[in-house]
Amino acid sequence: MNPVFDIDCSRLHAEQQRLQSTYHPDRYVNASDRDKRLSVQVASWVNQAYETLQDPVKRSRYLLEINGADIPDDSTTTSDTEFLMEQIELREQVESCRHGQDGLQRSDQIETRLAHRAEELAREFVSDFEAAEFDKAIVSSRKMQFIQRIQQQLSELQFELEEF
Amino acid sequence: MALLQISEPGEATVPHAHRYSAGIDLGTTNSLVATVRSGEAVCLPDEDGRSLLPSVVNFSNAQPLVGYEAQAMQTSDPLNSIASIKRLMGRARQDVIQLGDVVPYEFVTSEGSNVPRIRTRSGDLSAVEISAEILKTLAHRATQSLGGDLDGVVITVPAYFDDAQRQATRDAATLAGLNLFRLLNEPTAAAVAYGLDRDADGLIAVYDLGGGTFDISILRLNKGVFEVLATGGDSSLGGDDMDHALGEWIIQQGGFADIDAKLARHILLAARQAKEKLTTTESAEILIEYQQQQWSGTIDRQQFNELIQPLIQKTLTACRRALRDSGIAKNDIGQVVMVGGSTRVPLVQSMTGEFFEREPMCELDPDKVVALGAAIQADILAGNKPDSDMLLLDVLPLSLGIETMGGLSEKIINRNTAIPVARGQDFTTFKDGQTAMSIHVVQGERELVSDCRSLARFELRGFPPMTAGAARIRVTYQVDADGLMSVTAEETTSGVSADIVVKPSYGLTDMEIESMLRASMEHAREDIELRMLKEQQVEAKRVVEAINTALAQDGEILLSNSEIAPIHQHRDKLEAMIETGSAAELKQLIKAVEDASEFYVARRMNASVQEALAGKQIDEVDV
Repeated sequence: MNPVFDIDCSRLHAEQQRLQSTYHPDRYVNASDRDKRLSVQVASWVNQAYETLQDPVKRSRYLLEINGADIPDDSTTTSDTEFLMEQIELREQVESCRHGQDGLQRSDQIETRLAHRAEELAREFVSDFEAAEFDKAIVSSRKMQFIQRIQQQLSELQFELEEF
Repeated sequence: MALLQISEPGEATVPHAHRYSAGIDLGTTNSLVATVRSGEAVCLPDEDGRSLLPSVVNFSNAQPLVGYEAQAMQTSDPLNSIASIKRLMGRARQDVIQLGDVVPYEFVTSEGSNVPRIRTRSGDLSAVEISAEILKTLAHRATQSLGGDLDGVVITVPAYFDDAQRQATRDAATLAGLNLFRLLNEPTAAAVAYGLDRDADGLIAVYDLGGGTFDISILRLNKGVFEVLATGGDSSLGGDDMDHALGEWIIQQGGFADIDAKLARHILLAARQAKEKLTTTESAEILIEYQQQQWSGTIDRQQFNELIQPLIQKTLTACRRALRDSGIAKNDIGQVVMVGGSTRVPLVQSMTGEFFEREPMCELDPDKVVALGAAIQADILAGNKPDSDMLLLDVLPLSLGIETMGGLSEKIINRNTAIPVARGQDFTTFKDGQTAMSIHVVQGERELVSDCRSLARFELRGFPPMTAGAARIRVTYQVDADGLMSVTAEETTSGVSADIVVKPSYGLTDMEIESMLRASMEHAREDIELRMLKEQQVEAKRVVEAINTALAQDGEILLSNSEIAPIHQHRDKLEAMIETGSAAELKQLIKAVEDASEFYVARRMNASVQEALAGKQIDEVDV
């Protein structure tokens, strides 16, 4: 097996469901206690595998991990000034949607921009990873993680704006 | 030993007879029991033809009364007639105090137990014991109607029930002597009742508005697999609030003053009747006569709609949040299923339909639909429908976290994570020679531990003393398919597993459950011993059969001769004792066979998983 980053998520989902159809505890209701326990373990394992693989950031981190790359924890700061500036700018843009009449519309524009940026970074990750430049790939993965966090914040904000 | 048979799912080693099973909707106000008969789910009525069983238990006499009889005694004997016990399931003393004005009962807490008990003429009883009486009555009804013992039941719980509430429900089933196949979320049961599993794939919203609670669930259906994508709702929003809104309108219109509890009840009852009338007519007369005060008036549907519109709007806000949680757009929802008596209100149907831009499904009786779905699931789990592909995959309703420094909750497993699920966490010791530690597990979304619900404190003991920071303690949190959590811990450098003492914050301890069980079983001891022997004999035969089948299939591929020998030896010992051994002896011998073949089972399991992964899909996944 040669694990790669670009996968078909609908197939991944079908595979998760196929495995659950076999190993889910509901299939072992009349089995012995030990088999019940084993089935809970396997079903948990399948769910965890799915959760890791379906999320681009977790998937990138997992790929790095199985290739022996040492991923620093979240507290490590980046020294990439350009990216730092981008972070600050994006955050300010998201926050600014709270004010003014067209906040929701502006948030839609930022959403599109973030989606593009996420794709761009994923491509960067793939090329770094395939070139076995793991240090660079780690940086790309961290950037992906940052964009994902901003996307979540934006989504929360959009929900608030829709409410009022 | 079923896992040994995994590669041949179609071939049961022993062709079994039809198993009796039932689905139980254990409701706040009413409970129901349903079963599948000749392929169709039906609610089972009592001798008078009534399907609903009021969830009221009266303890005036030695033999508790359940249902309509108990309900009738509520006014004459309120302290011994317990209603709405579901609201107290898995609840602590503090919660009960909050309910103080709602329920008249006298609560007591005993030394060394967190569980509030209600003082009745039959003793101090916990919510678990009282619920068990309702379950017993329903199970008895099913047994009578089916003409045989129940192999197992499915009991429904609200999707928002936390771990303690689910555990309490499970304990009630144990106490009622029922084999609980599974706890099923009420909305999922409703979707199953509508037979949506036979539909094309799609997304389903289940809108459940009961008397006092609102639940919204977003489900995805894919080739017979139901997946709960998100759940949400409001545990204090329901038809009762409509009664209150209309009641306030009546008070305003009638200019009532000095409203005592009795008049309030009077007005609420009138409001409720008007609400029910307005589901079919355009206007309703209201007459209030109480001592010197008298008022009569008319309300039309338009006026009523204006009163309840904000309440329904609140439910739609929860719907929007659930949609967002599930990452689904509103117009992707293919079906909207209506559950709960309050969905009979026309404005609820029209506003929900408008919101989802889809005609909601309300053909089935909204009071019965949950029990019917539970019966269908129970029938499948009992193994009566071997061809069924239906599988219900659930998510964790509330996040699980542990208390960290400063009273903050650190999330271990987020809500809406697919279950079963396991998460590991590494800890180390902070003192030289430390051999124990304590973990406080909470459930909820808030940052502060004090705003979350305390589930349990786990004390891990007995890991080897080391210098501070040298020990690596791996704690594993396992959530099973019912959403219930267990914890295991191991010191990884020495491989010593810790003893865990669980102190549930709200639930009954295992010891309490055990002593209740013992008390209820004492007079039936002989029956039980005989049944245990029978069960062990059946289990022994199954184990022998399973091991033979497995060995014939791949024993020579996966095992060396020296590995097979001990398995044979233990199997032969067990086989020789099946007819003559006692239950305890058989249990021991079965365990010996299982232990001797444990590595073999694991090997088969790995081989089978490998095969599944190495099949066509994984290279697609990994291309």
